[in-house]
Amino acid sequence: MTIGLEHYLFVSVLLFAIGFFGVLLRKNTLVVFMCLELMLSAAILALIAFSRYNTTPGAPLMEGNLFVLFIIAIAACEVAVGLAIIVALWRRHQTVELDEITELKH
Amino acid sequence: MELGTVLSIILLAPLVSAGLIWMFARQRAALAMTLSLGAAGVILLCSGWLFFGLWDGASYEVSTEWLTLGSFKLSVGFLLNDLSALMLFIVAFVGFWIHLFSVGYMNDDGARGRFFGGLSIFMFSMLGIVLADNLFMMFIFWELVGFSSYMLIGHYLHTDEAAQAAKKAFIVNRVGDFGFLIGIIITYWTFGTVSLTELEQAAGIRPEAVTTLMGLLLFCGVLGKSAQMPLHVWLPDAMAGPTPISALIHAATMVAAGVYFLGRSFFLFTEEALHIVAWVGVVTAVSAALWAFAQRDIKKILAYSTLSQLGYMVAGFGLGTLYGLHHAGDAQTALYYGIGASMFHLTTHAFFKALLFLGSGSVIHACHHEQDIFKMGGLYKTMPLTTLTFAAGVIAIAGVPFIAAGFFSKDAILYVAKSTSAPAFYLLTGTALLTALYMGRLFFIAFLGKPKSKAAEKAHESPWTIVLPLAVLAVFSIGGGYLILYPPSLQVLIHDWVPHPHGADHQLMIIISAVASIVGLVLARVIYGAGAKTDKLETTLPPVYAISKSRFYFDEIYLLYIRKVQDRLADIIGFLDTLVISGVLVRGTAGAAGLLGIVARRLHTGSVSTYVWWFFVGLVLFGAYAGGFLEGILK
Amino acid sequence: MREILFHFFAALTIVPAFFVATSRKPVNAAMNMMVSFVGLAALFVLLETYFLAILQILVYAGAIVVLFLFIIMLIDAGSSPHPRLLRFLASLAAFALMVFAGYYLIFGGGAGPFAEITAEAPGNLSRTFGVSLFTTYLLPFQMTGFMLLIAMVGVIVLSRKFESDETGGEQ
Repeated sequence: MTIGLEHYLFVSVLLFAIGFFGVLLRKNTLVVFMCLELMLSAAILALIAFSRYNTTPGAPLMEGNLFVLFIIAIAACEVAVGLAIIVALWRRHQTVELDEITELKH
Repeated sequence: MELGTVLSIILLAPLVSAGLIWMFARQRAALAMTLSLGAAGVILLCSGWLFFGLWDGASYEVSTEWLTLGSFKLSVGFLLNDLSALMLFIVAFVGFWIHLFSVGYMNDDGARGRFFGGLSIFMFSMLGIVLADNLFMMFIFWELVGFSSYMLIGHYLHTDEAAQAAKKAFIVNRVGDFGFLIGIIITYWTFGTVSLTELEQAAGIRPEAVTTLMGLLLFCGVLGKSAQMPLHVWLPDAMAGPTPISALIHAATMVAAGVYFLGRSFFLFTEEALHIVAWVGVVTAVSAALWAFAQRDIKKILAYSTLSQLGYMVAGFGLGTLYGLHHAGDAQTALYYGIGASMFHLTTHAFFKALLFLGSGSVIHACHHEQDIFKMGGLYKTMPLTTLTFAAGVIAIAGVPFIAAGFFSKDAILYVAKSTSAPAFYLLTGTALLTALYMGRLFFIAFLGKPKSKAAEKAHESPWTIVLPLAVLAVFSIGGGYLILYPPSLQVLIHDWVPHPHGADHQLMIIISAVASIVGLVLARVIYGAGAKTDKLETTLPPVYAISKSRFYFDEIYLLYIRKVQDRLADIIGFLDTLVISGVLVRGTAGAAGLLGIVARRLHTGSVSTYVWWFFVGLVLFGAYAGGFLEGILK
Repeated sequence: MREILFHFFAALTIVPAFFVATSRKPVNAAMNMMVSFVGLAALFVLLETYFLAILQILVYAGAIVVLFLFIIMLIDAGSSPHPRLLRFLASLAAFALMVFAGYYLIFGGGAGPFAEITAEAPGNLSRTFGVSLFTTYLLPFQMTGFMLLIAMVGVIVLSRKFESDETGGEQ
C-alpha cells in the first residue's frame, strides 16, 4: 500500500502518546525531560509530513520545513537551559526525584 | 434687584451663617454669636426692604427644577403672597429679637457655638417652609425644622431629661409626618402636581376630586407639628431646651408652621374635614387650659398655654373657613376668613407668647435657673421692667378689649365660632376665661407679693440685650391689633381677610371678651392671692387638682403601648435581622466565598506530577472541543 | 520497497521511545532516545527532507543527547525504583486514550481524504532553505540567533555557584 499522510501522522501520534505516557509515569526529572523531547520530535515529524504532502509541483511548501528548523534550534536552547535548572535544583536538594521537590505547596 | 434674588438671600443667609459657624466657630462663642445675629439682621433688613417698597403685593412665584426621575419632577421655588409675606414678617421680626435675647441669656453657656449654629439652621428651615411653593419642598423643610428642633431641645447634652425630650419630640413629629407624606402622595396622585398655585387651580376646576381623606391625612402633619391632640405630648417636654428656643420654636414659629400650612392648602379641605379640624382644635384648646392649673414650672405653664392657643388657631381656621363657605358676602375674600382668623391669631400669639417666654427667661436667668413659681415672688420690686413687659403679655393673652392684640384676634375666632357652631363657641369662650385665670395665677404668684426664696431675693434686672426685645415685643403685644404697626403690604390680609362682627354682634362680642378676660384676671387674684406659697386649688379641691395634673394620662398610655407592643415588635424584627440578613445573607456569602477559596487552595499540591495530570485533563477537554465532541453540551 | 523501509524505520522510532519512557536507568533511557532520533532522521529522509535529516542527527542526536549524558553523569543519578501500580495503570489509560483518539481522528473518516504524494519537489535543497531564511524569514532567523545567545548567558548564570550553596558541586 502506498504510504499516505495518515500513516506518518499516526506515527507522530504514537510517539507523542509515548512521550506523554513517560511524563505521567516517571519521577526522575531527567527522564521526564527526555520524554518531553520525544513529544517535541513527534510534532516536528507531523510538520514535515504535512509540508511534504501538501506541496504542489510548481510552488514548493517550505513553511513546515522552516518551522522545523526553528524548532530544532529552539529545542537546543530549551534543553540547555532546562538542564542547567535541573543542576541548580540538584545542588539545592541533592535529589532530582519529583516527589521530594514539593516546596511550592499551599 | 429681583424679588427672587432677595428671597434667595433671605433663605440662604442663615444657611451660610450655620455653615461658617460649623467650620470656624464651634469653639469661638463670640464669632458664632456675631454670625448668627448678623444673619438674623440680614433677614430682617431684606424682609423690611421687601415690605416697604420692593414688593408690590401681587402674588409672586418662581421655581426651578431640581430632580427629575422619569416623569416625576421635584422643583424648588418661592411663592410670595399675602399669607407668606405675613409669616415671613413674623419669623424675621420675632426671630431677630430672640437672637438678640439669646446673646444675653446664653452668656454663661459653654456650647454657644453649637447653639447659635442650631439657631441659624432653624431659621433656614423655617424660612424654607414659609417660602416654599410646592408640597414636596415644604415637606423637606418640615423635616429639617424637626431636626433643628431635636438638636436645640437637646442642647443641654448631659442631662437625661433633654435627651429624652428631644427624642420624644422628633418621634411624635415623625408619626404625624407619616400621615402627612401619605396625604401629599395622594394629592400628587389625584392632581398630578404638588405646586400650590397649580393645586389651587385644579381644585377649583375639579372640586369633587378633593376628598376628606386627603385633607385629614394632610392634617396629620399639623397634628404633629402644631401639637394638637393626640400628638400634643411632646410640647410640654420640649421645655427642657433653653428658653430662647422655647420662645422661638415652640411658641412663635415652628409650632405655628402647622397653622401656616393649613392656610397654604385650605382648598384641599372638604366641609367634613373642616369640621373635624375645628373640633380637634377646640378639644385641644379646652384640655390644655384645664391642664395648666396644676403646673408649677413657669415654662410648663406657658407650654400648656401655647397648646391651648394653638388649638384656638386650628379651630379658628376650621370654623372660619366654614363660616366663609356659608356666608359668602364677597365670594373671594370670604373663603379666606378661616386663614385670616387663624393667621391673625398666630401673629398676635407670636408677639405675646414670645414676650412671655422671653420674660420668663429673664426671670429664670435672674433667679439663677429657678423655675418653680412658688419659689419666686416679689419680682416687681427687683425687676420692674421685666414685670411691666410680662404684665403686658398677660393682658394680651387674656384678651382685654382694645388694649390687647389678643383681644382682636380672639374676637375674630369667637365670632366665627358663634356663627357656625354653638357648642364650639361656648367651649372656646369658657377657655378664654380659663386662660385669663391661669395666666393671672402665674403672674400674681411669681411677680407680686414677697420673695419666697434666696434666689428670688437676689434677683436683679437683666441687661439691655434681654430687656430691649421684651420692650419691643410688649409694644407689639399691646398695639398688635392696630393696622398702623404693620408694613403696608401686609395690611391687606389683616384688614380684608379677618372676619369682623357687624352691628349688634359687635357690641356683644366686646362684652363677652371683656367679661371673660377681666373676670378671669380678678378671680385669679382673689383665689390665688399675691405671692402665695402653696397652690390654693391643690389644698382646697384635691380631686380637681389631680384631674388637671393627670393631663388625662396621655403620656402613660403611650408609654404602655411602646413598652408592650412596639418594643416586642422591634425585638422580633431585630432577631430576623440578625438571623436572615446578617447571618444568611452576609455571613453566608462570605462563608461561601471562603469555602471556594479553601477548595481552590487544594490545587496547589507542590507536586509536579499532579500538575501534569491536570494538564492532561485540560488537553482532553481541548481535544474533545476541537474534535467536535462537545457540540451538544455547549449548545 | 518504500513501504517496508517506512515500517522498519517507524518501528525503530517507536520501540526505543517506549523504552525511554520505561527504563529504570537514565543512561539506558538516553541511549534509547538517541536510537529513536536516528529512526526519526531516517523518516525525514524518506520524506525527502535531507537537510533536516542531517540537522536532526547533528543537533538532536549529536548535541542534545550528549548533553543529557553529561548531566546524568554529573548528577550521578542511579536507577529509579519500579513505579507503583496505580500510577502505571493510570498513565497507561491516558496513553491508550490518546492513541485511540488519534486513530479515530485520523482513520475514522472525519478528517477527509488526505493529500496524495506528488512527485519530488525541488523544495528540499539547502538552497531553497537558504533563500527563504535570508529573505522572507529573516526576522525569525535573527531572533533565533538572539535566543541562542540568551540561552547561553542563561545557562552560565544558572550554573554559577552561589554563596548559600554548601555542596561541593563542580564549577
